[in-house]
Amino acid sequence: MDLRLESVGHHYGDMEVLSDINLDIPTGKIVCIVGPSGCGKSTLLRLVGGLELPTTGRILQIGTPPADSINPLTYVFQDFALLPWRSAEGNISLVLEDHKLPSSRVTEIIADVLARTKLTEFAKAYPKQLSGGMKQRVAIARALAVNPAILLMDEPLSALDSQTRELLMDDLVSLWTREPFTSVYVTHNLNEAVRLGHSIVVLSRRPGRIREIVDVAIPLGDRELGDPELERQQKHLWNLMRDEALAADKELLHV
Amino acid sequence: MSEIDTTSASKTVEFRGGGFAPQSRKWVGVAVFIVLIGFVELGTRVGFITNLTLPIPSDVFATFVDLWQSGLLWKHLVPSIMRLIVGATIGVSLGIGVGILIGLFSLIRAGLIPLVAAIFPIPKIALLPLFVIWFGIDETSKYALIAFGTFTPTVVATYGAVDNVDRSLIRMGQSFSLSWLSIVRKIVLPGAMPGILSGLRISLAIAIILLVAAEMLGAEYGIGAYILEAGSLYDLERLFVGVAILSILGVLVSLVIGMIEKQLLSWRV
Amino acid sequence: MKNLISRRTTLGLISMIGATAAALTSAIPAYAADTKINVGALRFTSHAASFVAFERGYFKDEGLDVEFKFFQAAQPMAVAVASKDVDYAVTAISGGLISLAEKGAAKVIGGALLEDPAIDGQKILVSDAAFKEGITEPAKLDGRSFAMTQAGSSFHYMGARIADKEGITLSFKPLQKVGAVIGALKSGQVDAWSIVPHIAKPLAGSGAVHIIGNVADYIPDYQVTVVFTSADKAANDRDTSMAFLRAFSKGADDFNAALVDRTAGDEAAEEMVKLVHKYVYTDRPYEKAAPSIINGAMRISPNAALNMASVQDQLDWFKAEKLVKDSVTIDTLVDTSYTN
Repeated sequence: MDLRLESVGHHYGDMEVLSDINLDIPTGKIVCIVGPSGCGKSTLLRLVGGLELPTTGRILQIGTPPADSINPLTYVFQDFALLPWRSAEGNISLVLEDHKLPSSRVTEIIADVLARTKLTEFAKAYPKQLSGGMKQRVAIARALAVNPAILLMDEPLSALDSQTRELLMDDLVSLWTREPFTSVYVTHNLNEAVRLGHSIVVLSRRPGRIREIVDVAIPLGDRELGDPELERQQKHLWNLMRDEALAADKELLHV
Repeated sequence: MSEIDTTSASKTVEFRGGGFAPQSRKWVGVAVFIVLIGFVELGTRVGFITNLTLPIPSDVFATFVDLWQSGLLWKHLVPSIMRLIVGATIGVSLGIGVGILIGLFSLIRAGLIPLVAAIFPIPKIALLPLFVIWFGIDETSKYALIAFGTFTPTVVATYGAVDNVDRSLIRMGQSFSLSWLSIVRKIVLPGAMPGILSGLRISLAIAIILLVAAEMLGAEYGIGAYILEAGSLYDLERLFVGVAILSILGVLVSLVIGMIEKQLLSWRV
Repeated sequence: MKNLISRRTTLGLISMIGATAAALTSAIPAYAADTKINVGALRFTSHAASFVAFERGYFKDEGLDVEFKFFQAAQPMAVAVASKDVDYAVTAISGGLISLAEKGAAKVIGGALLEDPAIDGQKILVSDAAFKEGITEPAKLDGRSFAMTQAGSSFHYMGARIADKEGITLSFKPLQKVGAVIGALKSGQVDAWSIVPHIAKPLAGSGAVHIIGNVADYIPDYQVTVVFTSADKAANDRDTSMAFLRAFSKGADDFNAALVDRTAGDEAAEEMVKLVHKYVYTDRPYEKAAPSIINGAMRISPNAALNMASVQDQLDWFKAEKLVKDSVTIDTLVDTSYTN
C-alpha cells in the first residue's frame, strides 16, 4: 500500500502551518521528514494517520493494505504512550484485544514481536521498571503487533540519550532489513534522517513547504556511523536548513 | 593536581544542604497522643482540669470496656456501619458514574457542573427533615443523607481525575483504532483511578461526619445516636467513647483505602 | 469520684463562708445598685412566671436587674447555666440536667410547671395514620413508636411511664427538636408523642393528630419543670437566689390567678394574655395567639414549691434506665434548703 499527499495544507485558526505538500510514500521505504522546529512536521504526521483532518488537499491510500494488517496506519510516539498500569505484554495485548483474535493467536503475536524487539525476558515488566530505550522498544513491539502497512514515527528517539539512540537505530535497521516496512519518520535529528531514510523531505519554516527531497542511495544495512557519504549528506541537509532554523528561532521570539 | 598550591590555608567545604527533606518518624505521632492523654489524665485526677471540662481518660476507657462487655457496642456499631456502607456505596458509585460522564461528554459537563457546584456547599444536615418526608424516618432517609453527602465530592474528584488522564494515552488508543468503550474502560478509567481513590478518602471521611447527622432523626441505635444521647445527657465519658470510635472508623477507612491504592496503583512510579 | 468528693467538701466550706457574707450583705440598704442576673427562658407559655415577674417589676422590687436569654431548647439552657452564662433557668428534669448536677455544676432550687388533675395538662397525641388504624387510647400503643427530642428528655420519661402503667412496649425515636417531632407526627413517621396543651390542642385542631389521653392520668402531680441555677450560686449567693424565687413565685401567683384558677376576673386574664404575648407567639397577631396562650396555661407551683416525690420518681427512672450515674441522689440534684 502506498500513500499519496495531494496539495495538503493545514491551518490552526488564522495560522497556516502547512502549505501545498505533495508527497509520495512508496511501499517498503522509510521517508524521513526534517525541518526547523515549528515547521509542522508533527502536524503532517497526524494528518497522514488520520488523527487530524487537513484544511485543504487530500491524503490517499493507493492499493489495499495486506489482509493481515490489523491497523494499517500505526504510530510510534516520542513519549512512548505506554499504559503504566499494564506490563509490556499487557500493553501489546491492549491493541489486539478489540479485534476478536483467538487467544492463541494473540499469544503468538506477542511472543513474536517481543522476540523481534529482543524483549522476551521483559514480557512481565511494568513501564516504571524499564529504561527509556526499553520503553520505546515496547512501543515499537506494540506497533509491530498490529502488522501495520505504514509505521508513522513521531520523533521516536528524541526522548532518549545518544547511546540508547544509536542502539535503537541499529535495531530499527535490522528490523527493516529482515522484513522491510513502510514508514514516515519525523525527526529534527539530521543524523537519524541520513541513517534511516531512503528519502529525506526537508520542510521550510512555518508555513511548512517542501524545500527539497534528498534521496540517500546507500542501502540501510551499509550505513555505518561516520560514513563520509552520509556525513556529506548530513552537511548538505544542514546547509539547507540552517537559515530556516535561524529564522524560525527568531520568529518564535516574536510569537 | 600538582598545580594546586597545597601550602595555602585549607579547610573542608562547609555542608549546607541539610533540612527540608521529610523523614519518617512514626513514633512521634504516637508519642504526641500518649503525652496529651497522660496530661489530661493527670489534670483531671489532680483537679486543675475540672470534670465539667474533660472526662478522665481512664474513665473513658472503662466506659468503652463496659460498652464492649455489655454487647451494646455491636448493637450501636452494626447499624452505623451498615448505614455507612449502604449510603457511601450509593453516593460513591453514583458520584463516580456522573463524574465520568461529566469528564467524557461536553454536553453533560456543561449541564451538570453548575448543578454540582450549587449543591456541594449545601449543608446536608439542613436537608434532613426534607429527607425524612421523602424517604421516611427509617433507614432509607439515613442512607439518602450519607449518599447525598458523599455524592458531590466524589463527582468533583472523579471528573477532575478524568480530566487529568494523560491525553497522549487517549490519542494512542485512537491511533490504534480502539473502540470508544475500550478507550474508556482500559485507558480513561485506570488513568483516573488515582484521583478517584484520593477523592474517596475525602468522601468517606464526610460519610463518617454525616453519620452523626443521619442518626439525629429516629435512630435508636448507632454510634451517632450514642454520641447525641451522650451529649444530651452531658455524659462526657460516653461522648468521648463515641467520638473515639468515629476516629477509629476514620483511621480504618483510611487504612483500607491505602491498601486498595497499594493493590490497584502498584504501577505508580 | 475522688475529685467530686473533695469538690463537695470545698463547696461546703465555701457555702459556710458564703452564709456569713450573705448575713453581712443583707444589711446593705435597698438603694444599693441592683444585682444583674441573666435568666434563661424558652418562648413558651410555661415560662410565663418569669415574664410576669419582669413585666410587673417583681424582680426590680427584689433588687434584681434581669436580662432574659432566649433559647430554642431546654438542653442548651442547662449547659449555659453550667457554664455560668445564665444564672437562673426553668426547664424539665432531663438526663442532661441530672448529669450536670452530678458534676457539681447545676442545682435545682424550686419547682415550676406542675401537672394538676383539675387543670388541663400535657396531652398524649397520636398521628392521624395511627388513629385511623384504631389507636384511640394509650393502651393500644403496644409496639408503636413514640417520639422524643433526645434520650433522657422529659418526653422519654413520660413515654416510659405510660408504657409501664399500660404494660406495653414503645420504641422511642429521638428527633432532636420539637419542630422535627411535630413534622414527623403530622406526616405519620412516628405514631405517638406527649406535649404541653398549648402545642397539643392546635395540632389536634388541625386534624393531623389526635389527642388520646392525659399525661396526668399516668403521672399524677408530675413536676414537669423546675427552677435551677449553678451549684455555685445556690450555695454562695443565697440572697440573690431567694430573691429570684420570691419574685418568680409572685409572677406564678399572678399567672395562676389570671389564667389557671381564673379567680382574678376576665380583665386580669386578658391583661395576662397580652403580657405573655409580648414573649410568646410574637410572630402571630394577638387574636391568634390568645387561644394558644390560654390553652397552654398550666399551674406553676405556688411558692416555687417542688414535689419531691415526683422528682424522686423521675430520678429513679433515669437511674434505672442507666441514663445517669447510680451514685446520684436527690441531694445531688436538689438543694433542699430552698425547697423545704
